[in-house]
Amino acid sequence: MRRFAPVSVLVVVVLALCAPAGGAQGAPVKLGVPVPLSGGSAEAGQDILNGARLAADQANARGGVLGRQIEIVSADDACDAQQGVTAAQKLVDAGVVAVAGGYCSSAALPESGVFHTAGVAFVADASTNPQLTEQGFDNVFRDIGRDDQQGPFAANFMVDDLHAHRIAIVHDNTVYAKGLAEATRTALAGKPGVHVVFFDAITPGEKDFTATLTRIKSLRPDVLYFTGYYAEGGLLARQFKALRVPGEFMAGDANNDPTFIKEAGAAADGVLVTSAPLAQFLPEAKAYIAAYRAKYGHAPGPYSAYEYDAVNITIAAIKRANTTDRAAIIKALARTTDFKGITGTISFNAKGDRAGVNYMVLEIRDGEFTAYRAAA
Amino acid sequence: MDPRRRQIASIRAGLAIATGLAALVLPLAANAYVTDVATLILIYVMLGLGLNIVVGYAGLLDLGYAAFFAIGAYSSAILTVHHHMSYWLTIPVAACLTTVSGAIIGAPTLRMRSDYLAIVTLGFGEIVRITATNLSFSGGPDGVWGIPRPSIGPVTLSGSAALYYLGLAFAAAVLMLAHNAARSRLGRAWRAVREDEIAARAAGINTVSAKLKAYMLGALLGGVAGSFFAVKLTAIDPTSFTFVQSVNILMVVILGGMGSLPGVVLGAVVIVGLPEVLRAFQTVRMLAFGVGLILLMLLRPQGLWPSRMGTLGRHAAAPASGRPEPTSQAAASG
Amino acid sequence: MDVALQQLVNGLTVGAFYALIALGYTMVYGIIRLINFAQGDLYSVGAFIGLSMLSLLAGLHLRNPLVLTALGLVVSMGATGLLGVLIYRVAYRPLLRSPLSILISAIGASLTLEYSLLLIYSPSFLVYPSLFDTGGPALGDLVVSWMQVTIFLVSLALMLALYVLVHRTKLGLAMRALAINQDAARLMGIDVSRVIAATFFVGSALAAFGGVMTGLYYGQISFLMGFLAGLKAFTAAVLGGIGNIPGAMLGGFIVGIVESLATGYISGRWKDVVTFGILILILVVRPRGLLGERVVERM
Repeated sequence: MRRFAPVSVLVVVVLALCAPAGGAQGAPVKLGVPVPLSGGSAEAGQDILNGARLAADQANARGGVLGRQIEIVSADDACDAQQGVTAAQKLVDAGVVAVAGGYCSSAALPESGVFHTAGVAFVADASTNPQLTEQGFDNVFRDIGRDDQQGPFAANFMVDDLHAHRIAIVHDNTVYAKGLAEATRTALAGKPGVHVVFFDAITPGEKDFTATLTRIKSLRPDVLYFTGYYAEGGLLARQFKALRVPGEFMAGDANNDPTFIKEAGAAADGVLVTSAPLAQFLPEAKAYIAAYRAKYGHAPGPYSAYEYDAVNITIAAIKRANTTDRAAIIKALARTTDFKGITGTISFNAKGDRAGVNYMVLEIRDGEFTAYRAAA
Repeated sequence: MDPRRRQIASIRAGLAIATGLAALVLPLAANAYVTDVATLILIYVMLGLGLNIVVGYAGLLDLGYAAFFAIGAYSSAILTVHHHMSYWLTIPVAACLTTVSGAIIGAPTLRMRSDYLAIVTLGFGEIVRITATNLSFSGGPDGVWGIPRPSIGPVTLSGSAALYYLGLAFAAAVLMLAHNAARSRLGRAWRAVREDEIAARAAGINTVSAKLKAYMLGALLGGVAGSFFAVKLTAIDPTSFTFVQSVNILMVVILGGMGSLPGVVLGAVVIVGLPEVLRAFQTVRMLAFGVGLILLMLLRPQGLWPSRMGTLGRHAAAPASGRPEPTSQAAASG
Repeated sequence: MDVALQQLVNGLTVGAFYALIALGYTMVYGIIRLINFAQGDLYSVGAFIGLSMLSLLAGLHLRNPLVLTALGLVVSMGATGLLGVLIYRVAYRPLLRSPLSILISAIGASLTLEYSLLLIYSPSFLVYPSLFDTGGPALGDLVVSWMQVTIFLVSLALMLALYVLVHRTKLGLAMRALAINQDAARLMGIDVSRVIAATFFVGSALAAFGGVMTGLYYGQISFLMGFLAGLKAFTAAVLGGIGNIPGAMLGGFIVGIVESLATGYISGRWKDVVTFGILILILVVRPRGLLGERVVERM
C-alpha cells in the first residue's frame, strides 16, 4: 500500500486546491479571525488571535471537528472601517466557514455587513457597541456584554457605592467610547441629586490632557469616568493625580489591560475600572491561563478568554450542525444555550447577544487588578 | 510627428484599450475579494483624477482633499438614509455641495504661495473631519449606517460585480471629463499658471479665476467619488476621511506622474494594490510600503507614467515658459 | 484666574514640545523647501533611542537620574541627528530637483521610521522609567512641576543656541546663504551638501531632545506618537512663518496655548477646529505667517 501514499497526498492537495471553500473531506475547517494587527490596538488584536489559536490547537489535539483539523485564518483590520471591509471580504473568499473575533467596534460594524451578505456567522468577542446586534443580522452573535449594559452598571456603581453627586464623563470620540459615555449619561439622568458636570472628549494619540483636567478640576467632581482606551487612560490617571483633581478616577472596560498600570505608575493605585470579569477572576479559566502562559510565555490579555470561548462556541455549533455549511452553522449558533465556557455559562438571546452578562468593578492595588471591595 | 513618437503613441493607445478591456472582464475572472479591491482602486482613480486637476494641472498643493471626498460621501449617505432620497438624485446634490465648498476653500487661499496653501487645505480637511465627528446630524463618530444599495428599476445593485461596474462607469465618466478639461482652453490656462504664474498673467490669463475653477472641478470629482464610496461601503464614518487619506490620494497623483491620466490609474493600482499584495506579510507590510515608496521615487522621480508635458516643463522650465503652447498631441498624452 | 493661569502653564508645556519639532521643519524647509514628513517620526525615534539608552544604563547599575538623563539625551540626540542625515543622503538628496517626488519620498521615510519602530520595539506603547518626582514649587492651587520648569527653560536655551548658531557662526551664515540662493552659494565655495546635512543633523537632534523629554515627562511613548505631534508642529512652523527660526518657536507656543485655552473654555472636541481656524485667519491676513520670511527671501 505504500506506493499509494503519494497518490492520496496528491488527491488531498488537488482537492484542497479545487475546493477552497473547504468542502473536501480531510481539508482543514477554516475559521476566520479579523483583528487589528497593526496600529495602536495591535497588541490587543494579537492577544485575541493567541486565544483563538490556543482554542484551535486544543480542539485539534482532541481530533478536530467532524474529523477534520481546524485552521485559524487571521486578517488585519487595523481598527479601520475601510480596511475591515477588505479584511472581511478576504476571509470570506479564503473559504472560512464561520468567523470569531474582532476588537474595535468601528471595524467590526462594517465587517458584520460583509459577513451578512456572504452568509457567514460572526461571533464577536470584544466589540461592545450595541449597534452590532441591533442591525437585525441573523448571523451576528456576541459572547460579551454591550456598552448599554455597562453604562447603567457604571452609573449605579457611582451613585450607590461611591455616593457620587457630581460626575465628569470623558470619552475620546470613537464609536465605542462615545457609546459607553452616552449610555452612562443616560443612565445617570434619571437619578435624583446627580449632575453630570462635564461631558467632553479628548483626542486619542495625544499625550497632554491637562487642559481638559484643569477644567474638570474647577468643577470639583466626585468621580471622573473615562470611557476611552487604555493608551490615553493611563496618561489621564497620571495627570489627574499630578494636577490634584479631587474625587475618584474610574475608567471603562478598555482600561482593564495590565499596560494601564505600568503606564500610570504610582497614580494607578486606587483607580477603579468597570469591566467584564477578567480571566483571573473566573474560576473556570485557571487551566486556560496556565495553557496560555505555557504557549506564549506571558499572561493573557483582557479579551483572549472571550475569544477562546467564541471559537469554542463556534466549534460546538459546527459539531451540532454536523456540517460545515455556513447557513447551518448560523442556525446551530443561534441555538447556543448553556454553553459551559471559561467565562461562564453562555446562551444567546434572540438578538444574538449573550444573555445575563456580568460586570465587576476592578480596583488597582499595589500594581494589580483586584476585585473592588467597599471601604468598611 | 516622427515615426518613433507615432510608435509610442500607438503603444500607449494599445495599452489603454487593453486596460479598458481587462477592466471590463475583470469580475468574470476574479473572486469577490479581488473585485472589491478593484472597486477600491476605481474610487482612488476618481479621487486621483480630481486631485490631479488641482495638483497636476494647476500646480496647487492640496493636503486636505479628503474633505471633498467626505462631503460627497456624507451628502449621499445622509440624503438616502435620513431623507429616503433616491441614490441617483443625491449625486447632483453631492456634486453641487462639493463644488461650492471647493469655491469656499479656494477663494481666500488662492493668493497664497503653494506651501502655505498646503497647510491651509490641511486645516480645512481636518476641520471638515472633526465637524463630522462632532455634529449629530452626521452621526458623530458612528457615522451613517445602512446606506441602501442603488437600484435601477426593480434591479438592486448589491453584488461585488454590479457595484464594480457602477464604479467603472463613474470612473470612465470622470476620466472623460478630466481628459476634456485638460485639452480645453482652461486646461492650457492651468498649465500656464503652473509653469509660471507671472508670465501667465502677462499673457492675459485670469490666474485667480483659472485656479478657482481648478479647485471647483477637482472638488466636484472628489464629491462624486465620495458619493460612490458611500453606497459601496454602505457605512461611512469620519475615520475614512483623515489627513492620511488626503496623503494617500496625493500619493496616487504623484506616484503615477503628475498631470498624467494613465499615471493616475497606475498610481491608484499601486497605492491600493501594494498593501493588499503585501497583506500576507502582515506586520511588515507598512514598512515594505514605506521603503517601496522611497525606492520608486529614487528610481523614477518623475512618476511611473509621467505626462510628457509635465517632464518637459519641469526639466527645462526657464526656456519652456517662453515657448508657444504645445498643441493637441502633447495634451492628449497628458 | 487660577484656572486661566493653569491653562497658560499647560499650554506653554505642550507648546515647548511643538516648538522643538517645529524648528526642524522650519530649518529643513528654509534650506531645501521640503516639508519633511519624517520630522515628527524623528521625534519618536529620539524617544525610543533614549529609552533603550536608559534601560542599558540601568542595567549597568547607574542610578543618578541627572547623569542618566544627560547620557540618554546625548546619545539619542547624536544618533537621531545622524539618522536624519542618513535619510537626507539616501531618500532626499537624489531628488532635490523634483519637488513633489521628494515629498512622496519623505512620506515613505515617515512610514519606514514608524513601522521600523513597531517591529523593533512594540506595536503598543512603551513606558519610560520615572526618574524624577512630580513635585514642584508650592503655588497654591496652581500646579507646576520642577520638570515642567526645566523643560521650558532648557527648550528656550536650546532655541537661543540655535539662533546664535544660525546668526553668529560661519555654518549659520552658510545656511542662510543657501536658503537665499543655492547656486550662488555653491559658486561662493560653500559645500552645499555638507551644510544641508548639518541642517538635518541639528533639526533631528532637537526633535530627539523633545522625544526623550516627552518620555520622561509623560511617561509613555509609542511608534505613532510623532504623527499628531508632527502635524501640530508643522502647523506651528507655518503659523510663525516657515523658514523663520524665532517664528517656529513663537508658533509652537501659540499653538500650545490656543489648544489649551480652547479645550478649557470651549471644548476639547473643537480645539483643533479652533487652532486650524486661527491659522487660516492669520494666513489670510498675513499670507507669510506671523514673522514673515526674514531668513528666506526667494520667489
